[in-house]
Amino acid sequence: MDNKELAERLREIAGKDYVLTSDMDRMLYSYDASLEKAIPDVVVLPNSTEEVSKIMSLAYREKIPILGRGSGTNLTGGSIPVKGGIVVHFSRMNRILEIDIPNRTATVEPGVITLDLQTEVLKKGFIYQPDPASQKVSTIGGNIAENSGGPHCLKYGVTSNHILGLEVVLNDGTVIWTGGKSRDNPGYDLAGLFVGSEGTLGLVTKAILKLERAPETIKTMLAIYETIEDGANTVSAIIAEGIVPATLEMMDNPVMRAVEETIKVGYPLDAAAVLIIELDGMPEGMDEKAQKIMEICKQNNVREVKLAKDDAERDLLWAGRKGAFGAVGQVRPSYLCCDGTVPRTKLPEVLNKVMDISKKYDVPIGNVFHAGDGNLHPLIMFDERNKDELKRVLKASTDILKACVDVGGTISGEHGVGLEKLKETSFIFCENDIEFERHIKKAFDPDDFINPGKMIPEPVCEQ
Amino acid sequence: MAQFTETVEKLVSIVGKEHVKTEPDDLATHAVDNLKPKAVVFPKDTQQVSKVVELASRENLAIVPRGSGSKMSMGNPPKRLDLVVCTSRMNHMIDVDTSNLTITVEAGVKFRDIQARLATEEDRCYLPLGDLTSQADEAICSDRSHSGCFLPIDPPFSDIATIGGIIATNSTGPRRLLYNLPRDMILGVRLVAPSGLIAGAGGKTVKNVSGYDTSKLMAGSLGTLGIMCEMTFRLLPLPEKMATLLLSFESFSDASKVAKQIFDTTLLPAAVEVMNGATFTAMNIKDAPGFEPGEYVVVVAFEAFQEAVDRMRSEIKKMGLDLGAKSDASLDDASHQRFWLAVSELEGMLARKFSGLVCAKLNYRISEWEDVYNFCQKVLSDSKIDYSLQAHAGSGICLLRLLIAESDGETTEAAARALEKMLQKSVEAGGNLVIQRAPASAKGKLRMWGELSPDFIVMRRLKEQLDTSGIMSPGRFVGGL
Ligand SMILES: Cc1cc2nc3c(=O)[nH]c(=O)nc-3n(C[C@H](O)[C@H](O)[C@H](O)COP(=O)(O)OP(=O)(O)OC[C@H]3O[C@@H](n4cnc5c(N)ncnc54)[C@H](O)[C@@H]3O)c2cc1C
Repeated sequence: MDNKELAERLREIAGKDYVLTSDMDRMLYSYDASLEKAIPDVVVLPNSTEEVSKIMSLAYREKIPILGRGSGTNLTGGSIPVKGGIVVHFSRMNRILEIDIPNRTATVEPGVITLDLQTEVLKKGFIYQPDPASQKVSTIGGNIAENSGGPHCLKYGVTSNHILGLEVVLNDGTVIWTGGKSRDNPGYDLAGLFVGSEGTLGLVTKAILKLERAPETIKTMLAIYETIEDGANTVSAIIAEGIVPATLEMMDNPVMRAVEETIKVGYPLDAAAVLIIELDGMPEGMDEKAQKIMEICKQNNVREVKLAKDDAERDLLWAGRKGAFGAVGQVRPSYLCCDGTVPRTKLPEVLNKVMDISKKYDVPIGNVFHAGDGNLHPLIMFDERNKDELKRVLKASTDILKACVDVGGTISGEHGVGLEKLKETSFIFCENDIEFERHIKKAFDPDDFINPGKMIPEPVCEQ
Repeated sequence: MAQFTETVEKLVSIVGKEHVKTEPDDLATHAVDNLKPKAVVFPKDTQQVSKVVELASRENLAIVPRGSGSKMSMGNPPKRLDLVVCTSRMNHMIDVDTSNLTITVEAGVKFRDIQARLATEEDRCYLPLGDLTSQADEAICSDRSHSGCFLPIDPPFSDIATIGGIIATNSTGPRRLLYNLPRDMILGVRLVAPSGLIAGAGGKTVKNVSGYDTSKLMAGSLGTLGIMCEMTFRLLPLPEKMATLLLSFESFSDASKVAKQIFDTTLLPAAVEVMNGATFTAMNIKDAPGFEPGEYVVVVAFEAFQEAVDRMRSEIKKMGLDLGAKSDASLDDASHQRFWLAVSELEGMLARKFSGLVCAKLNYRISEWEDVYNFCQKVLSDSKIDYSLQAHAGSGICLLRLLIAESDGETTEAAARALEKMLQKSVEAGGNLVIQRAPASAKGKLRMWGELSPDFIVMRRLKEQLDTSGIMSPGRFVGGL
């Protein structure tokens, strides 16, 4: 089937206004927040599960590569159509179908923006916990595919701990529900498998999310350090004290500078790092714990630690953290975010290595990350037009991931493997591990046309 | 048979002579639903498991893995059985990294030994170590980490169950309300696939999106996709204070009102259980001498900072008294722990007393728990079967135990009819009913896994893809997988 006919068939399914074929339109779907690029043959914007099912059946019969796309904010090339074919953009399927407080669930379409849902449920006194820093733009579908994390995941877990059920369109167009509002449904935990599968097993068309009651109290602290190491040691010391805060986020000097140049939240520019620490829950006992945490900060040579006095102050502290990537993007043309994750006690060691790598390849690196989870985000800043610099950036990124794996960590905490880290999977997996993954993929997609080329490296040599 | 002698020799060459059992007695004690294996094998590590499974795969031998055997009565009878592979020798703690709040252990490690290993110097532990009847593995527990952490799950049989068995059955307890499920605690797994290949996924970081989340697929798969050999979990610091509040009521409507009111507050109890009097009495609790159970008991667990526990306890006690609680009692620290240990041991205790015991787990939308509970009471009193009924209010789970002294044709029929009605009810309420224990003789009459869900087509594809020759626990799981 040629592209013209394909587009025609898709128009029959989704309506003529919702199929994009012009060069300009296709170009707009050729990139995401990673450095990868590839142009799709056609883009379709379905409005319902039925339409997605028909689109999938068509792709299945014709063996045309297909992939889902939310807002394209993923950082590893997950939504890049490397083999061409159809991009299914979920922006029209963005309805919050139900907020069911008695059952503590929300049922949504995949195109719902994470923050929109969170704002809606908060009006009823509830929280959907996973809060990626991109929540203003990212979609629930994308969050599910990447098993996204966020600052509050230290205490509350990542996306997979908050997904109860999924409606999925399988390879041949069959629509199934797995899981649901009730828990412990017998059988394999398919929802658990779908979350984090980077859109390679099927297309998610609805999701049932778990809601939790908003905490009675929140206390947010900002701790300022002369060295990154002191900050990182504080993180381990707090956990060792038996306190699991809602959040332990860290930012170093280069990132603070970028934030101050753009958002201006009043970070001290002569400090090496800041730590945002947040406690939440019932107020009883919280003052003592906050006090204890401040003591721990002092034992770890904090310069100053302050408690946000009110919501406005708290929002300001967070604005800096949540806007950090964007700020870095504004002061330098490009950045590459490494998502290596380490056991949290190894943070000081690995942060030092990151600085060495920065020097070795002569590329500036800023750090803004989920310290409590050991989830680093070194941002390597560069100018994409400088080819030599780009080469050094990629080498530095590989070295950083290797350094994480060497101390018992992994190559991705929350952004996924995608295209970007296919090579680095060899740091953590042997051929057998990958073979097992291929079997899983085959059970869902034996023809390998659903988001092909992602996450699982090709066998080294075919027989 | 001659052929099997050769197989036994090969097994011996893998695990050693004393670790392959073929005596009739051994085969009988390791029978699964009365089906005797041809040999029982005790590998010492993942490598040996891999070799055993590889052999089985080559010779098309059916395997059922086994931990300490506490939940072997789950599932359908296996379609065929050649080898029972026991994990009891695989009892090493590979990596105890309490400052990172993770632990990596082999599948045969006992749950109680994990908790003991994580205790503080003063023996503050999640389980009441002194009250456990099972023997500690001294080699493991002498090397304490003195960290004061715990693995936040509270499964049944917590005194004897192995961690591999707990995860393979995704076995949960009341305190899931606060801590979530075993599948949420597992971070990584190394398993032996049905081909014999050793494959791993995940690791010791709490966040990991590098490859499929195989740990979640394996959790609850009842040994049908491979044998989990090593697992990594996240830990939590021990709660500063632990306490339990008991409230008794004469009517279900009052008991359920308390639970509902708790659920409508912002309080964060660890568990809210509503049980009938028979359940409470069966546990034989000695730490609350003045407490009068009545028809229904509401039990609330608190595991939090001291001040938060004090507030929750006093607010909930007031709610209970305002609703006419007949009696109340408080259990602190050690007695709190003993109480929840008794809850965990209840099924095992009843199994020793009632040889025809049938246990079921009902799941449904959490808001429908009262309706389901009431329905069960009605059906069971109509069918004149004694029962214990315990709802994890707030989690959408209800545990039912039919106290059948000796199973015969008639009682089995009656039980099957009642269970069928309750299954329909659970399905209407968006869930299912899984029978977790039944005498082998009764299983033919019971739908062990309730009703098949539409996603079964995918489960079958997964099973066929991963276990091509169908040697792993064939037939035991959902839909005969
Ligand atoms: C500034 C910035 C900050 C970020 N901060 C964080 C953070 O704190 N934590 C974090 O985890 N991530 C973060 N990210 C990464 C990114 O936002 C997340 O990966 C997010 O979940 C992607 O959502 P999306 O809607 O943009 O998905 P997309 O990028 O469009 O797609 C991501 C993947 O999901 C698949 N997909 C999308 N919809 C479906 C569907 N319906 N069915 C099947 N597959 C589907 C796609 O095929 C693709 O593989 C950040 C990114 C940026 C740019």
